[in-house]
Amino acid sequence: MSAKLLEVSDLCMRFGGLAAVDNLSFAVEKGAIHGVIGPNGAGKTTTFNVISGFYKPTAGTVRLRGETISGLRMYEVARRGIVRTFQHSTLFSEMTVLENVLVGTHLNYRPNIFAAIVGWDSDDRRAARAKSEETLEFFGLLERAGDRAGDLPHGHQRALGLAIAMVARPEVMLLDEPFTGMNPEETNSMMSLMFKLRDNGVTILIVEHDMHAIMGICDVITVMNFGKLLAKGRPDEIRRDPAVIEAYLGSARDVA
Amino acid sequence: MVELLAQTGLNAIYAAAYMSLIAVGLVLVFGVLGVINFAHGELFMIGAYVVVAIYADFQMPYVLAAAAALVFVGAVGILMERTMFGPLRDNPLGGLVASIGFLLILQALVSVQFGVRMEHVPPVTQDVIVISEKVRLPVQRLAVIIASIVFLSLLWIFLRKSKFGWALRASAQDREAASLQGISITRISIIAMFIGGALAGIAGALTAPLISVNPHMGHSVIVAAFIVIIVGGVGSLEGAVVASIAYAFVHTIITTFWDGVIADIVGLALMLAVLIIKPTGLFGTADRA
Amino acid sequence: MRSVSGRVGIWLLLAAVLVLLPHALSFSQQEILVFLTINILLVASYRLLTLTGEWSLGHAVIMGVGAYASALYTKEFGIFVPVSMVLGACTAALVAMILSYPLFRMKGFYFLIGSFAAGEIIRLFWNRFREPFGGPKGIKRIDPMPDFDILVWQFDFFEPVSYYYFSAVVVGASLWLMWRIERSPVGLTFHAVHWQDKLAEATGVNVRAYRTLAFVVASGFAGLSGALLAHYIGAVNPNIFDLELMVFVLTWTIIGGTATIYGPVIGCIALTIVNEIVLREFGLEQMRPFVYGLLMIVSVLFLPKGLESLVQKGLARIASSGLDRDMGRERETPGS
Repeated sequence: MSAKLLEVSDLCMRFGGLAAVDNLSFAVEKGAIHGVIGPNGAGKTTTFNVISGFYKPTAGTVRLRGETISGLRMYEVARRGIVRTFQHSTLFSEMTVLENVLVGTHLNYRPNIFAAIVGWDSDDRRAARAKSEETLEFFGLLERAGDRAGDLPHGHQRALGLAIAMVARPEVMLLDEPFTGMNPEETNSMMSLMFKLRDNGVTILIVEHDMHAIMGICDVITVMNFGKLLAKGRPDEIRRDPAVIEAYLGSARDVA
Repeated sequence: MVELLAQTGLNAIYAAAYMSLIAVGLVLVFGVLGVINFAHGELFMIGAYVVVAIYADFQMPYVLAAAAALVFVGAVGILMERTMFGPLRDNPLGGLVASIGFLLILQALVSVQFGVRMEHVPPVTQDVIVISEKVRLPVQRLAVIIASIVFLSLLWIFLRKSKFGWALRASAQDREAASLQGISITRISIIAMFIGGALAGIAGALTAPLISVNPHMGHSVIVAAFIVIIVGGVGSLEGAVVASIAYAFVHTIITTFWDGVIADIVGLALMLAVLIIKPTGLFGTADRA
Repeated sequence: MRSVSGRVGIWLLLAAVLVLLPHALSFSQQEILVFLTINILLVASYRLLTLTGEWSLGHAVIMGVGAYASALYTKEFGIFVPVSMVLGACTAALVAMILSYPLFRMKGFYFLIGSFAAGEIIRLFWNRFREPFGGPKGIKRIDPMPDFDILVWQFDFFEPVSYYYFSAVVVGASLWLMWRIERSPVGLTFHAVHWQDKLAEATGVNVRAYRTLAFVVASGFAGLSGALLAHYIGAVNPNIFDLELMVFVLTWTIIGGTATIYGPVIGCIALTIVNEIVLREFGLEQMRPFVYGLLMIVSVLFLPKGLESLVQKGLARIASSGLDRDMGRERETPGS
C-alpha cells in the first residue's frame, strides 16, 4: 500500500490572473480510495481536469508510475490507464446501455475500419461484447442493456457512468462528485460499488464537495482551499483538523 | 504611382464603408440570436431591388427609395425572426438551414419578379469630385461613405445610451443571464433582426446605382462578410468595422495590382488562418460557438 | 425476427425493380435516373460525414474534386476510366485529409464557416487556373466510360440505361460499404463522438482522429460520385459544384433525416420526384429554388426528424411485434 502510483507536484493552474490551483502537491497510493475535498471554488475540479488531461497545467507536473502525463491530451492520459467520469450524468444518452459500455471497450479493442469492412474483427467484437455484458452484470445493469441510456433512473445513470470507465480496465479511476444529488439509498449502493472496484485492484481518486459522504469510504483525504493544499491524512485526522473545520465553517458563513 | 495609391485608397474606403454596414448587422444578429444568417447577403440584394423598383421603375426620388429599402428590409428581418429564428431558438443549425432556405426563396422571388438579368440603376448624380487628374471620387461613393459613418455612429450611440441598446448588448454577451434579468429575448431578437436587416438594406440601396444589381449579388457579399466577421471576431461590432476596413484595403490593393480572384483567395485564406490560430478573431474575446 | 428468406426476398424484389425501372421510363427520365443514382451516393456520403456531429459546407466542392481529378487523369495520362474514377475518389479523400488539419481545429459554427471557405478557395482555384483546370469554362470532352460486353449483354455507356446500371452497381456497393462501417465498432465510435465528445475522449477515443476518419471516408465516396458524374456528362466546370448544389445536399439530408442510412436517400428521391415530375409537369422549373427553400424551412420547423421518422413509424406499426431493434433506433437531427 505504499507505492506512489500517481504523483502531483507543484501544480499551478492559472486562468488569466486567477490561480485556481496554486502549488499543489500530493500523491495517490496504489490500491487506495483517495478523496480530494474542499469548499466551493477550492480548485478541486480544476485539479481533476488537469490530471485527466482536460487542461494543460500552467506549471508543475503530474506523474503516473514516474512517467510525466501532464500536458497530454485526455485520450492519451486514458490510454496510460487513467479514466475519468464526469459530474452529473454525462452519458451517451441517445445510445443504448450496452452501446455506452461498448464505447468504453475502445481502449482494449481498438477498432479498425478495414477489418470492420472485411469482417476480420469478429473475435474482437465478440470479446468486447462479452466484456461489456460482464461489466453490466457487475453493476447490476444487464437486464437494462437494451434501454436507451437517457431513460434510466438517476442512480442507474451514475452506475452506467462508472461502468463505461470500468470496462476500459483502468489502473486509476477519477470520479468527479459521484455522490451529488443522490439520496441515502443511492449513496450507499454507490459506496459499495466503490469498495467492489477497489477490491478489483482499481485505485480510485474522488473529488467531492460533500465532506460527510466521503469520510466513510476514503483511505486518505487531501483537503484543498483557495487552490492550495490545506491538509492531508486519514479521515479521522481530517475530521479533527482545526484548519479544515475553519475552512468549511468559514465558507458556510460566506454562503449564509 | 502616388496617384494610383491614392485612388486605390479611396476605393478601399468606399468598399470598407458598405462592408461595415453589412458585417455589423450580421455580427449583431449572430450575437443576439446565436444564429448565422446565411440570407444576410440576400437582404442586401433586396435593398438594391427596392431601389430598382421605386427609383428606377417608378421614377420616385432616390432618397425615398433608400428610406423605403431601410424600412422594408428591416421588416423582412423581423419576418425572418418571427417565422424561423424565433421558433428555432435553441437549434442554431436549424436556424442556419432555415436561413439558407429563405435565401433561395428571396432569390427565386426576385428572379420571377425582375428576371435574372442585370438591372441597371440610373446614376443619381454624375458629379465627381476631382482631387487630381487621376484621383477622382464620385459623389455617390462619397454618399455611401458618409451614410455608413452616420448610420454606424447612430447605432453606436443607440447601443451605448438607450435602454434597448443596453439590453441588446447584455443579451449578445450572455442570453441566459440577460433573460434572467428580465430582458425579453423575443423583443431583443426582433430589434436585432430589424437593425441587421435595415443596415443590409440601406447598404444595398446606397450601392445599387454603382454596381450591377442581379438576384445572385448576395453571394460574393456574404462571403466577404464571413471573412470580415471571422477576422474581426464574431462577438465584436467594433471588430467587424476594423476588419471591414482592413479587408477592404487588402482586397482592393491586391485587385488593383494583381487580380480579383487572387484577392478573393487571399481573403479566404486569411480567414482560414484566423480560424486556425485564433478562432475568436483578432479583436473578439467572446467565444460563443 | 423476420425470417432470413423473407429478407432475401425483399432484397431480390428491390433488385428486380431497380433492373426493370429504366425500361418503364422515357429517355429524359432515364437521364434523370442516372443523376438521381449519383446524387444518392453524394447525399449518403454526406450523412456519413455528419455522423460525428460536424456539418460541412464543402461537400459539393469535394465531389467536384473527384470529378476534376478523374477527368484530368484520363485526359492527361490516358488512364482507363474505371481506374481513374477510383483514383479520383482517392484524390478527393486526400484533399479532405489535407483540409482536415486546419478544419478540425474548429468545431460547430466555425467548422461550418471554415469548410465553406476551404471549398470556395478550391472553386476559385478552378476558376483562376486555366492550366490544368480550364478556368470558368472547365474541362470539356472528358473520356466516356468505354463500352464493354458481358456475355450477351452489351453496354454502350452513352446510353443512360447502361450508365444507370453501371452507376447503380457502384453506388449500391458504396452504400453497402458505408453500412458496414456504421454497423461496426468504428461506426459506434462515430456516434459516441457525436453525442458526447468529452466522454468519448475520456475513454481513450482520439476524437479528432475519428472526426478526420469520417470526413476523409465520406469525401472519398463524394469524390466517387463526382467521377461518376464527370464521365457521364463529359464536362465539368466550377459552377456545377457551387453553393446551390451544397444547398440541395443539405435539403435532401434535412428533409430525409439523418438517423438512418436510408433517410437522406429518401429525401433525395422524394425531392427529385417533386422536382422532375411535379415542377416540370406544371412548367414551374423556375420556381425550383423557391420550392426547395420552402420545403427546407417547413421541414426544419415541422418535421425535424425528417421523412425517415414517418417511415420508422410506419415500419413499427406494420411489425409492432418483433422487429429487431436496430431498425428503429433513432438518432435525432444534430443540433436539435
